[in-house]
Amino acid sequence: MATAMAATAVERAVLEEEFRWLLHDEVHAVLRQLQDILKEASLRFTLPGSGTEGLAKQENFILGSCSTDQVKGVLTLQGDALSQADVNLKMPRNNQLLHFAFREDKQWKLQQIQDARNHVSQAIYLLNNRDESYQFRTGAEVLKLMDAVMLQLTRARNRLTTPATLTLPEIAASGLTRMFAPALPSDLLVNVYINLNKLCLTVYQLHALQPNSTKNFRPAGGSVLHSPGAMFEWGSQRLEVSHVHKVESVIPWLNDALVFFTVSLQLCQQLKDKISVFSSYWSYRPF
Amino acid sequence: MRSSLQAVVLWGKKAPSHSITAIMITDDQQTIVTGSQEGQLCLWNLSPELKISAKELLFGHSASVRCLARARDFSKQPYIISAAENGEMCVWNVTNGQCVEKATLPYRHTAICYYHCSFRMTGEGWLLCCGEYQDIVIIDAKTLTLVHTFTSSQSPDWINCMCIVHSMRIQEDSLLVVSVAGELKVWDLSSCISSIQEKQDVYEKESKFLDSLNCRTIRFCTYTERLLLVVFSKCWKVYDYCDFSLLCTEVGRSREFFAGGEVLAAHRVIIWTEDGHSYIYQLLNSGLSKSIYPADGRVLKETIYPHLLCSTSVQENKIFPYMKANIFVLDQSLPFVMGYINEKKEPFYKVLFSGEVSGRITLWHIPDVLVSKFDGSPGEIPITTTWTLQDNFDKHHIMSQNIVDYFNGFKDGARTAVVTSSEYVPSLDKLVCGCEDGTIFITQALNAAKAGLLEGGSLSKDSLPHKVLKGHHQSVISLLYPHGHSSKLDQSWLVSGDRDSCVILWNIFTEEILHKFFLETGPVTSLLMSPENFRLKSNQIVCCVCSDHSVALLHLEEKRYLFCARKHLFPVRMIKWHPAENFLIVGCADDSVYIWEIETGTLERHETGERARIILNCDDSQFLKPESVLSVASETPKHKSVEPRSSSSYQFGPIPCPGLQVEPSCKAADAKSFSGPFNVLPVKTKWSNTGFHILLFDLENLVELLLPTPVCDPSNSFYGSEILRRAKSTVEKKTLTLKRNKTACGPLSADAHTKPVSESPAQGDNSITVLEENDAIKRQKKMKSSKKTHPKPSRKFDANLIIDAAKLLLSCLLPWGVDKELDNLCIKHLNILKLQGPVSLGLASNEDYFSLMLPGWDLCNAEMKKDSSKVNLFSRKVLDLSSKYTSTLPNQAGMPKREENDCDSLQESNTIVYLLRRLFLVNKLVNMPVELECGIDSSFKMESVHNKVKSPGNDILHISSFYSYLRNDKNESHIPEADVSLLKLISCWRDQSVQVTEAIQAVLLAEVQQHMKTLKNRPINSQPESMTENSKYEKMQIQPKMEWAEELELQCVTGSLPLQTSTSLVKHDSNSNSANFQDTEDMPDRCVVEDSESPGKPRPHSWIAKMCFCKLC
Repeated sequence: MATAMAATAVERAVLEEEFRWLLHDEVHAVLRQLQDILKEASLRFTLPGSGTEGLAKQENFILGSCSTDQVKGVLTLQGDALSQADVNLKMPRNNQLLHFAFREDKQWKLQQIQDARNHVSQAIYLLNNRDESYQFRTGAEVLKLMDAVMLQLTRARNRLTTPATLTLPEIAASGLTRMFAPALPSDLLVNVYINLNKLCLTVYQLHALQPNSTKNFRPAGGSVLHSPGAMFEWGSQRLEVSHVHKVESVIPWLNDALVFFTVSLQLCQQLKDKISVFSSYWSYRPF
Repeated sequence: MRSSLQAVVLWGKKAPSHSITAIMITDDQQTIVTGSQEGQLCLWNLSPELKISAKELLFGHSASVRCLARARDFSKQPYIISAAENGEMCVWNVTNGQCVEKATLPYRHTAICYYHCSFRMTGEGWLLCCGEYQDIVIIDAKTLTLVHTFTSSQSPDWINCMCIVHSMRIQEDSLLVVSVAGELKVWDLSSCISSIQEKQDVYEKESKFLDSLNCRTIRFCTYTERLLLVVFSKCWKVYDYCDFSLLCTEVGRSREFFAGGEVLAAHRVIIWTEDGHSYIYQLLNSGLSKSIYPADGRVLKETIYPHLLCSTSVQENKIFPYMKANIFVLDQSLPFVMGYINEKKEPFYKVLFSGEVSGRITLWHIPDVLVSKFDGSPGEIPITTTWTLQDNFDKHHIMSQNIVDYFNGFKDGARTAVVTSSEYVPSLDKLVCGCEDGTIFITQALNAAKAGLLEGGSLSKDSLPHKVLKGHHQSVISLLYPHGHSSKLDQSWLVSGDRDSCVILWNIFTEEILHKFFLETGPVTSLLMSPENFRLKSNQIVCCVCSDHSVALLHLEEKRYLFCARKHLFPVRMIKWHPAENFLIVGCADDSVYIWEIETGTLERHETGERARIILNCDDSQFLKPESVLSVASETPKHKSVEPRSSSSYQFGPIPCPGLQVEPSCKAADAKSFSGPFNVLPVKTKWSNTGFHILLFDLENLVELLLPTPVCDPSNSFYGSEILRRAKSTVEKKTLTLKRNKTACGPLSADAHTKPVSESPAQGDNSITVLEENDAIKRQKKMKSSKKTHPKPSRKFDANLIIDAAKLLLSCLLPWGVDKELDNLCIKHLNILKLQGPVSLGLASNEDYFSLMLPGWDLCNAEMKKDSSKVNLFSRKVLDLSSKYTSTLPNQAGMPKREENDCDSLQESNTIVYLLRRLFLVNKLVNMPVELECGIDSSFKMESVHNKVKSPGNDILHISSFYSYLRNDKNESHIPEADVSLLKLISCWRDQSVQVTEAIQAVLLAEVQQHMKTLKNRPINSQPESMTENSKYEKMQIQPKMEWAEELELQCVTGSLPLQTSTSLVKHDSNSNSANFQDTEDMPDRCVVEDSESPGKPRPHSWIAKMCFCKLC
């Protein structure tokens, strides 16, 4: 950085030359690299419309947890949608085994994956418009493009790393509970979400609070994972969560995608940093 | 920004950057609205000759603007909606630039359509929105609350674009959308209104997969009611609306991305690309395939490309190349945003318009008959107009004064100093500016502003006191005045950081360098002070955020460079201090957190993801955000120091963090904590290294501080006079008590204590409080904000500063050149200077939303162009309003008159105070409904009308009594009726939606004219007579009313509220009553009468008055 100090005319000329190189060559090299990474990432999401839509690969994930064997689930993921689900629940009281599965005709979109995929394709779209033949004229132009791309990538990543915080009534009202055949018993709630690279399934067992119960009724707020004892009102009933079972499975390609996001974000930032080094010259001459 | 704040903008020579991301033309074709990546909206005037001129810049959004749309039936209400990247939505009135409604919802919209079905819907209609979420969200256009959603049964996905189809043929409105994946979906609109309102699920009626990605636009041809134009980024297609069968496809050339399109006429479409080209195609054979003939021509700015006629004609059939293209290549890191407006009505044009990231707007007038060239190649439609913000600045350079422009005079010749950072020190009224060449100027802010704005200020330019600090070799990009953050720190200290990572600690009084820190990092983009409760060896420390993502800590007292935290990979977003553990917590742009131990300078922890979020969100530690975001404002510790504005200067600090995604420094202009009568707010916008300054005048504060002008001592000039000081301190006491009452809202009886003045003013005070209390319920919001500012300790402002600020404000508001003589009189008697050119005023709509006029606003009104002699006249309307006002203004009322022996300066300050009070009153009156309306539920129509009428009424009364209480002019016979009629007139203006600035200017003009008239021909002898007559008349009028009032009070006490019967008379009474308070001082004989009436009664009075006022208005 100290190079900028008291730059002589020669030094300045060299710096200008260097900046021109940065804009004309280096930027495109980085952009190409970015594009490659993001394409790789988007392949993981099996973008629809690429002709393979109907053929999107089905993957089965066996969900489990080391702490409990009361819930076992097999979820089938097809792109961004859950196409099948088989959940086995061993009731803690009577050891009775409950089994329920998705209706044949229904799919459940995993909003998080869909959003992440859409953000990535927007980022790719932004980059596509600036291929080799495009000539950047100012550093600010590159910064703006990088900002736009980074915004999309950050959102894509955040979508996967931050599952929605839902209240219990929201979970109860969600369409997911209506996906099952036979229908879910009224004392069960199910939620599926992505947390980082993991596909998570939570099953809440509920029991009704007596209307004259002395328990202080306080409805629980929004949360990714509610704990036993959380209360809520559904219909005219007051319910309390008695047991929570959470099982999960790693989705390998989500892991890859997250790594790609992180790498490309760092690439973008590095490019921005390189441009910023020259920022003191903009006011003299906008390239 | 509080509404009593008057803002004057000093733009400087360079326009703020405005990277257009959204553009629209209003339905009346008089305004172009653009939204920018910086978050501002710009209103451009579009003349009937299609000339463009920028009018106003609207501040409010803290993130890039994504889309703009109409928000009402435009002929009824000129409202538009803007939606930003972060979910903020805002409804603006485009005629005056005020923010009408705002909301932040967890949806990021990319497109909005206004829908209203008058015969099936109540309310103002819906905003149908799509964006980065599944399906369609419906938002109420008036309240901006979520109404419901349209949901898809099949493959729900994000929606890219949409259009509303009104089909005459089937008498049904439908919503057509295309999803990200390329799925076309149709929802019924008009038949679903009731189910939407009942929140039932509404699923799509039809859907069809279109087999192309990245849909940009979908349009229905209203001429044939048959064709559907769908533009994708790589091709455009025409479908049959009846069965969605594909009629034709046209693929773009390689590297050409379509951005949108519109149906021009029955079989004619216009398609535009992301690089700003557009093509008009004739669809032959009713749009059936094979008959489409595209043609195109392109022209680069200088070069003309060969027409690629053949290469585009993929179809075999015959061609009718009807075509047009336009070109233009410039800096465009973002796509051009384009639009097309097609008005069938006569005076309107068919206009194609585009906005660029460079801020350039281009218009093409599309003729009805398109002609191709003789050889059959596509013709070309020339650009009709093109304009940028900078053009406005260049054309009206007189108006674009910068506060420090005059410095250039000192510089040896041609080179101008580009200011790269600035900071205002309110306690010293110093403006500190860091320049590009490494020098730092320190000057008196007010004088600098005057020199920049006023004529004849140039005389003083050379003698302006200023200091130059030399020590930096690179441009100074960050400044910090530590005393502003903590009173314990030395007043003489100033810290500055430059591009070369050198930080210098200065003594600004002796101009010497106390210490130079070499950080050996990147440019120092911001300097922050640790909070009061964080101390290292009992001293606060300074934190330097550098653009290479490092953070350096400096200990000023010991002149020690503590350490530099260098590990951050991403730009620093947030700095938190953990006093207990001695930790520095750094939040970065990638949501990771670094925790540094301050003593040792070691990295204690690095966290990402969920944990990082938790650490940043925990509230047990103090934090500072380098972004100077508003949310921090409420949390910054209140400094109980002598200098009350210390905290404000911190929030105003413009911190140019290059990595910040959202640079809301403009938003920091929120003046919640602003409490001085005059302040300078440096504003920096995102992509430029130079900024502009806003001068803020607090009318209310000015009036308060100026009020008790010295009444007696004529030998004393008011400049720095001891009397003024003393008087000021008394008024401070007064106002403080008043405020205590306000906040307490408790029993009011014990109020008449400690009043340094006579008893009757105290009564006046009392009645105010009662009213205040009544109002409080309705205006809680407002109260809250006023509370916040009030509990400040008494301030010590230089009296000179206050008067000078008041004069500068008057100069800025007065319409010069209306009457030459008047100008001269003003200069002579008010001792104010004429403006060099029109000033750019700012208008606040509420706390964070305000508009700033741009240089050249005065030429936006077509009729104004003709005479250039008038400077700063806001609009022609002002003159009408002003004359109306004058006619209501009774001859002798209003202006304070003084005895012949009064000295000139005293008279002058009296007049200024009087004028300011008038302005304050007008400002309050006209602003009233904006505040009141927001809380009123539309469903209670009757009630709301009632309320609206009532509460302003209340306030009128409150203000007028307050105001008359404040008067202490001598020898004045005050006619209450006159005041009431004036108040009525002004509230009437408000209802006619006269803009605040217009009203203020009109009143000022009228009052000044009136005043100067009396000065011109002082009819010394005749006056006393007429006065006595007046007062006699007044007395006669008042007396019967008083009896009335007394009766009413009795009734009131007994509990039966005589609301219906006591109308106008009581109102007059209450007014005359309040007027009397002020009269008592001057007219001892009448005092007797009134005093007997007033003691102890203000309470029922005001109560009655309140009840009655509602009926009257």
